[in-house]
Amino acid sequence: MNDHMSPAKLGFGILWPAFWTALPFKLVLVVLFLAFGVVQFENRIVYAFLMLLASPVTVFALPTITLGLGSHIGEGIGIALLFLLAVPIDVWALGVVGRTFFLERLRREPPGGLGLTLWWKCALVGAIFVPILWATESAVTDGGILAVHSIFESDSLKGIPIAERISTELSLWGTLSTVVLLVLLVIGFSLVGRVIRGTVESAGHAPENYQGLVTRWDLMRVPADQGLMLAALSGVAVVLSVLFWSSLPVFTPHPHDCCRKPEVQAAPSFKPLETLNKDEKMIAHLAAQVELLVEQRAKIELEKQRSKKKGKEAGEGVLEAPEATEPAQPAAMNP
Amino acid sequence: MSDTPSAGTQPTVAEKVFDFVDERVGLKLLTAKMLNEAVPGGSRWAYVFGSILLFIFAMQAVTGVLLMFYYVPTADHAYASTQYILHDVDYGWFLLSYHFWGSSAMVVCVFAHMSQVFLWGAYKKPRELIWVVGLALFALVMAFGFTGYLLPWDQRAYWATTVGVEIIDKVPVLGDFLARFLKGGATPGQMTLSRFFVIHVMVLPAALIGLAGLHLFLFRCAGPAGPFRGTPTELKAKTDYFFPRQIWKDIVGMAVVFSCIGVLAFWEPVVLLDEATPDPGDYHPEPEWYFLFIFQHLRLKMFSGQFGQFLGSIAFPGALGVMLLLLPFFDRNPERNIFKRPLALIGWVVLTASILLFTVSAIINRSYLD
Repeated sequence: MNDHMSPAKLGFGILWPAFWTALPFKLVLVVLFLAFGVVQFENRIVYAFLMLLASPVTVFALPTITLGLGSHIGEGIGIALLFLLAVPIDVWALGVVGRTFFLERLRREPPGGLGLTLWWKCALVGAIFVPILWATESAVTDGGILAVHSIFESDSLKGIPIAERISTELSLWGTLSTVVLLVLLVIGFSLVGRVIRGTVESAGHAPENYQGLVTRWDLMRVPADQGLMLAALSGVAVVLSVLFWSSLPVFTPHPHDCCRKPEVQAAPSFKPLETLNKDEKMIAHLAAQVELLVEQRAKIELEKQRSKKKGKEAGEGVLEAPEATEPAQPAAMNP
Repeated sequence: MSDTPSAGTQPTVAEKVFDFVDERVGLKLLTAKMLNEAVPGGSRWAYVFGSILLFIFAMQAVTGVLLMFYYVPTADHAYASTQYILHDVDYGWFLLSYHFWGSSAMVVCVFAHMSQVFLWGAYKKPRELIWVVGLALFALVMAFGFTGYLLPWDQRAYWATTVGVEIIDKVPVLGDFLARFLKGGATPGQMTLSRFFVIHVMVLPAALIGLAGLHLFLFRCAGPAGPFRGTPTELKAKTDYFFPRQIWKDIVGMAVVFSCIGVLAFWEPVVLLDEATPDPGDYHPEPEWYFLFIFQHLRLKMFSGQFGQFLGSIAFPGALGVMLLLLPFFDRNPERNIFKRPLALIGWVVLTASILLFTVSAIINRSYLD
């Protein structure tokens, strides 16, 4: 049995394979949620993505970072949903990995409920340590960039060509940032290792020889009914494929300026009976107006004839008075 | 499928078909040879990259054929037909984006596969030929990326190709001929597009299929190298067949890669720049991201001038290629544990860090150009 394993090795030995075991399931969920349009990542996409996928230690840490440090990573109900669904996936993955690790590397009997125990311990350490890691790493990186910039702004170094300057600056602050990140990661793995060491020490020794242990953890992963497992997996794959293709946008969500589709406005629905009634009313209204016009014109003509008669009677040389008013055109006749 | 029907029961149609084919081509023997290969030390996630590369190539072929249904390889219509695929063909944007990110995934996985072989010491005797053919496959993958990049015929494509062909032009003896052959004229135009298209969809796939077959054949002849650590008892206890555990890991690896490419296609779908013209305008020419590190180190003062450019673009990368090619013939030490080969470990770390450093530098350099 490997009783002298360091806490960092113990933490890494559990978390690293658990991350990869859970990754495929979470990735499928991410793809589906993106196709549904319920996840929109905004800033720090890579960090956000990695933190979502490494959820045994970030499940409580990411909300803390988002709220406490103002690192807004994105929007959409999909992020919360992903975290929620990641919990059972992580519990399962930590269980599978933990049992294998206990048998193969530690040669101890894995206790019952190992997945859940490992999950809450990892989540607890993550909730405290990951925000500290995030803040420290951000501060060191920002400080490093500023310091290196200020060094290269000095008069003696201003003549350095741009390409050389960029590479040197990046090497300097990148090395500092990477070293700090690695040290913090080792501390983090070590903390996880220390927290789960109690579970390891309370586990009894496995009685089999090495060959027996390997056979046991190997068979532990093989389902009892392989046909059923294959059928279930195929069924899930078909359902996921149908869901994906049915929710995938048909046209690009990022159109080029040259090819933007004009906004098409839906034509109002045509109701024949209502339109007929409306037209009939309009025709009746117009007919009444025409009748009124004809009457007005007849009156005017009559007036004219009367005034002509009066003019003739009054004698020659009297100018004819201009028409006082023209009848107004009805509104309905306007184009 | 059961091999023989149990006594007293009639064979099913599937069993009859299987037996019919087996009688003629020896299907049972073939299946047994394919699947029952011993994997020393058992299945591992580190071994999935070869299968993943085959999967990505298959997906690139499928999406490429679908894109060819709409793509028109002429200077007049290449851009318009690509825009048509992006904006009017049902799911065309996703297919094109998947194809685009698939090529990047292929480069990343080739690097991961080569790194795994190098770090595991799996290029050593008797696997020298597998390594050499693998290097040729790596060159083909890069050529796929280079030739495919021109096809959308936008400013990015046009100028990346111009930069790439200028680098090829610096190769001694053959450079001028190769550059003229690829361009087919003074500036990139219809002849360039036709030649890149034919190389991309016919020459390279045929070469890749042939070399990948040879790579697999050589691999099966030599057998897997297995892990570089562990006692003989541990290795023997864990030794397993290729089927089902390694195949299962390969399938999961393929699903992960498919999902990653799908996610990238959503996050950063292909958006074309303006149509290609011989005037770059505001656009600052640069190659695809996996050639950026070469492009950036050519900006260094020490690589300025004719000779400097030759050193940076041809001599150093060429020397690295020759070193990798000859590596298994010089490194005759049977030790495979990477932690007992410090020179190899340091070499790999320095090379990887340099590629990362210059790639990120090139990205930062963009802000200085604007």
